[in-house]
Amino acid sequence: MTSSEDSSSPQDPSGQMPSSQMGSSQSEPGPPADAGPGGDGTAAFLGVLATTFTTVFLAELGDKTQLAALLLSAQSGQPLLVFLGASLALISSSLVGVLLGRWLARLLPAHELERLAGLLMVGLSLWLGRQAVLHLNAPPPDLPLG
Amino acid sequence: MDVSLLASTFVTVFLAELGDKTQLAIVSISGTSSRPLAVFAGSSLALVLASLLGAAAGGSLSAVIPTNLLQLAASGGFLVLGVRLIRKAARAEAGEGGAADPERG
Repeated sequence: MTSSEDSSSPQDPSGQMPSSQMGSSQSEPGPPADAGPGGDGTAAFLGVLATTFTTVFLAELGDKTQLAALLLSAQSGQPLLVFLGASLALISSSLVGVLLGRWLARLLPAHELERLAGLLMVGLSLWLGRQAVLHLNAPPPDLPLG
Repeated sequence: MDVSLLASTFVTVFLAELGDKTQLAIVSISGTSSRPLAVFAGSSLALVLASLLGAAAGGSLSAVIPTNLLQLAASGGFLVLGVRLIRKAARAEAGEGGAADPERG
């Protein structure tokens, strides 16, 4: 039975803050977060939450996840259970995504990751836009509403 | 409680979602923001709500909601976020004093 005590780090004196300038900067466990001058916690939290929500919600509506959920729900006749399973899967997948992002943030310098993420988003945007425009131009084949 | 149905839904949706554009977006936002909890809460909420809408509306969702327009809106959102990130990265690099050529416009 291995019990590892890492809840209390022995090297960290909890009473005093390490404020000496001469000490070399230790390796931070966290990502190189850009500490803004105005650190308004709640507002920033809500801002990030709203941004994420809007982006993901818009991108996800009408996606293949929903198609799968629809199919399963129609076949089984137990929509609640299908919804529960789909929700659990989606929450898990977003947890995976968040953890992956934090892991990348620890590997790469901040501006490098920002450029990569920016390029990725622009690429996603072009791909999504192309799809939407293609669908707009070509009417869906089997919709009775002309 | 039909555990096999629950499990099959979970596996189907989870596999469909891995590597999806949504997850790529979540990775991007989480990696470049210092608030992983907010990202997790926002993305989970959005995904669950979207799937609730899908399950509740049944097959008539695409008739109710113009998904093409939604996709266009999402595309615009991605574009804004991406350009903002690229500009931020360029600014950070210029601020560090490195002789960085803007390779990509």
